[in-house]
Amino acid sequence: MAFWKKGKAGAEPTRLFYACDIHGSEPTYRKFLNAAKFYEVDALIFGGDLMGKLLIPIVRDAGGTYRARLQGQNHHITSDGEMKEFKRVLQTLGFYWQEMDPEEYRTYEGNQERIDGLFDVLAKERLGEWIVLAEERLAGSHVRVYLCGGNDDTDEVLSALDEVPQDRVVNAENRVVPLDDEHVVVTVGYSTPTPWETPREKTEPEIAAVIAGVMAEVPDPSRAVFNFHCPPLDSSLDTCLKLDASVWPPTPLLENGQAIYYGAGSQAVTDALVRYQPTAGLHGHIHESRGMIDYGRTPAFNPGSEYGEGVLRGLIVAIRGGEVVGHQFTSG
Amino acid sequence: MAEAVAPQVFTRRASGLVRVMSPYSAFIYNILTMGIIFPWVFMQAPTAFQGSNLVLAILFAFLFELPIAMAYVWLATALPRSGGDYVFQSRVFGGGFGFTVVFGFFVVWILQWVALSGWLLASVGIAPMFIGLGVTTGVSAFTDIGTWAAGANGIIIISVLNAIVALVLLVTGFRNYVRFQYVMWYAILLSFGIVVLLFLFTDPGSSTASLDAFAAEVDNTSNFFATASTSAAAAGVDFNPPFWLIGSLLAAPIAWTSLQWATYSSEQGGEIKNAHVFRNQAFIMVGSLAATAGLLILLALAMQKGLGSDGILVASSGYWYGVGEATIGGNIMFPNFMAMGLTGSWLIVLLIGLGFILNSFQIVCNCYIGTTRIMVAQGLDGLLPDWFARVNPRWKTPVNAHVAYFLAALPVIWAFNKVGDWSTKWALGVTFANGAVMVLSALAAALLPYRAKKVYEASPGAGYKVGNVPTVTIVGALGFLLGGFMVASFLFVKDLGLAFTNSAFPYMIVIGTAVFALIIYFVMRSVKASKGIKVEYAFAEIPPE
Repeated sequence: MAFWKKGKAGAEPTRLFYACDIHGSEPTYRKFLNAAKFYEVDALIFGGDLMGKLLIPIVRDAGGTYRARLQGQNHHITSDGEMKEFKRVLQTLGFYWQEMDPEEYRTYEGNQERIDGLFDVLAKERLGEWIVLAEERLAGSHVRVYLCGGNDDTDEVLSALDEVPQDRVVNAENRVVPLDDEHVVVTVGYSTPTPWETPREKTEPEIAAVIAGVMAEVPDPSRAVFNFHCPPLDSSLDTCLKLDASVWPPTPLLENGQAIYYGAGSQAVTDALVRYQPTAGLHGHIHESRGMIDYGRTPAFNPGSEYGEGVLRGLIVAIRGGEVVGHQFTSG
Repeated sequence: MAEAVAPQVFTRRASGLVRVMSPYSAFIYNILTMGIIFPWVFMQAPTAFQGSNLVLAILFAFLFELPIAMAYVWLATALPRSGGDYVFQSRVFGGGFGFTVVFGFFVVWILQWVALSGWLLASVGIAPMFIGLGVTTGVSAFTDIGTWAAGANGIIIISVLNAIVALVLLVTGFRNYVRFQYVMWYAILLSFGIVVLLFLFTDPGSSTASLDAFAAEVDNTSNFFATASTSAAAAGVDFNPPFWLIGSLLAAPIAWTSLQWATYSSEQGGEIKNAHVFRNQAFIMVGSLAATAGLLILLALAMQKGLGSDGILVASSGYWYGVGEATIGGNIMFPNFMAMGLTGSWLIVLLIGLGFILNSFQIVCNCYIGTTRIMVAQGLDGLLPDWFARVNPRWKTPVNAHVAYFLAALPVIWAFNKVGDWSTKWALGVTFANGAVMVLSALAAALLPYRAKKVYEASPGAGYKVGNVPTVTIVGALGFLLGGFMVASFLFVKDLGLAFTNSAFPYMIVIGTAVFALIIYFVMRSVKASKGIKVEYAFAEIPPE
């Protein structure tokens, strides 16, 4: 019988669902959790960038109404129903909000340090709620959700991953954790320097050192799934516009009047994929660069992101015996 | 309570998404795709629907397309990503439907436009320009080149070269195209402007004399216009037809074959800056539609002024009735060609010719750009092999999809020019098929608030309602109905499409392309299933609760 059947090749593959870069979007995160049941997968892996990017001050007006600005439009909120609907839209878009008086609003104007502090408070609060939600949704199932940060997340916010009690949620940040009986997940959430000067950027040598550190704990690299937020350099998974970082916000650099595309990934990540030949490489960071590429036997993926539309871009990967046996990009 | 403030958004240092194509570039792209200098309605409608009014036909087409373009504005802001129609329809109707319609009716049928653009380049661009240069300079070699370019072999060679140059330009970086598009834009505007001015500054009597002299130089004939008029009348042209309102309405679908492409930029929504901003998409789609309709009307009025109704009818008879006497050097009298006949300047001929050559080239470029983006989206969704979705790391473009589309176009280019009944039998379905995609996308827009609720609610267009009904539902439904009229006319009106030959064969070809796409869908679904993956997952929306 063994002549006809090679080892465990016929066994059911482990199916994992990967998504990243949801940037605070509540419905997108909820979809991510529901993906376990919906796509019938065994594990949920998140690839970093949990935090939202915008905070909408909702300022009290005379007469108990409110004013706010969203997507370039001024909103005058005059009833509880309108407020509820407005906040629901903010949740979908991944934005935070804070109701405040005009006096309080003025204390934030031009004070980036104070604004960043408010971001951290609200984002950490939301991440804590998300961990609790994950525990509730996945209770009684065999599915675990692996969470980590990306370059856009602050260490202060990510500390919630350790502070909130958890069973189904695994803090995968910069460590090696088991995925199934034969595979492990190796996570690195940093990116190379960006024009945006985001909170968690590292130089190439620093990223290489972090990867070497976590790989030292991996007994068999061929059975490792790389969950590296930053995609490999010049891989087609990292294509974006070159920006002028000397102005804020950064604007596209022009050559003969035209914008320039370039690879914003990491050489250290490329080197690791080539050297260790893991089961698969899961990457994010560059939302517009959805795709896949092979490094020897290792396929590397970037599912992209459209969190702002409430769409969960993701990837189902079926792995068995250290190999990807099937994959499917999703848009749910 | 302190005085009211106008609050601004708080931001932090986080990375952002930036795109390459400006709304203005996308606006230009749509106008060029509509082909302002290839106004089929001028060539077909005057004789196919005698008594129809060209200006009215263009206005009808504009009004019918308007709700469709508006529906696309909602779709493109709600789903600002590459793959346009495929993305819209697969999200609203489901993957099987979206793939079958857009692959079968767009990707497959647009191969026809690749062949057509080569024909245009040779027959309407290179041939008239060289013939015109031959006449104005007296150098017979120019006339010989023009005559060769208008022959079947010349057209095939020029078509293949056209496709190769576009392939190289596009695979080596999309920004190369964006840069070159500005050259095409200004050259085409100049060419168009010259043609309009030449018509405006002449009158039918003078233009008849000029065309007689031009034909005498090229074909060594005399009394060209009188001979052509007599032959046209013998072929069935009525030079004094009564005004026909219904005919003008039936001519609108012909004008629509140009104006319907006002939404084509949606295929590369992922590459347009601030594509999610409502006013940008309104400018890109509705703005380009209005601008093109205006330019076409201007050209119609100018032709009426310079050529008169008789001149327009004679030119049209050469195209629609195949009246040989109403052609010069074997070339159909497109507006540019007639304008060349009105001038004695080689420089003006050259400028007009370059505009037409560049617009022909732009058409093959937009065939590639739109369809390869669709193929990449379908490859990523697992409905085409992964190979199609691979983006070249060096050039950052979908090289595989480009090469595949080029190879697929070669036999179509050959058939277009060598198979005698290709245009009147095999390829009759192209206007129906392309139009059907757009009309179904309008329907997708109408259903967006109900079939993709979360996507709709997060979109900037969600705020617009008429009573309790989303505005997109109203404009989408209106677009579906008005576009449905156009599409139905391609199906059933003899002079407009599939009914042309009174044969079931063209209908079978259209059905065949849909079945072909459906077979690919089921094969890919089965291949994916064998690997433990359900392809339906690519489109299914996960409930957040």
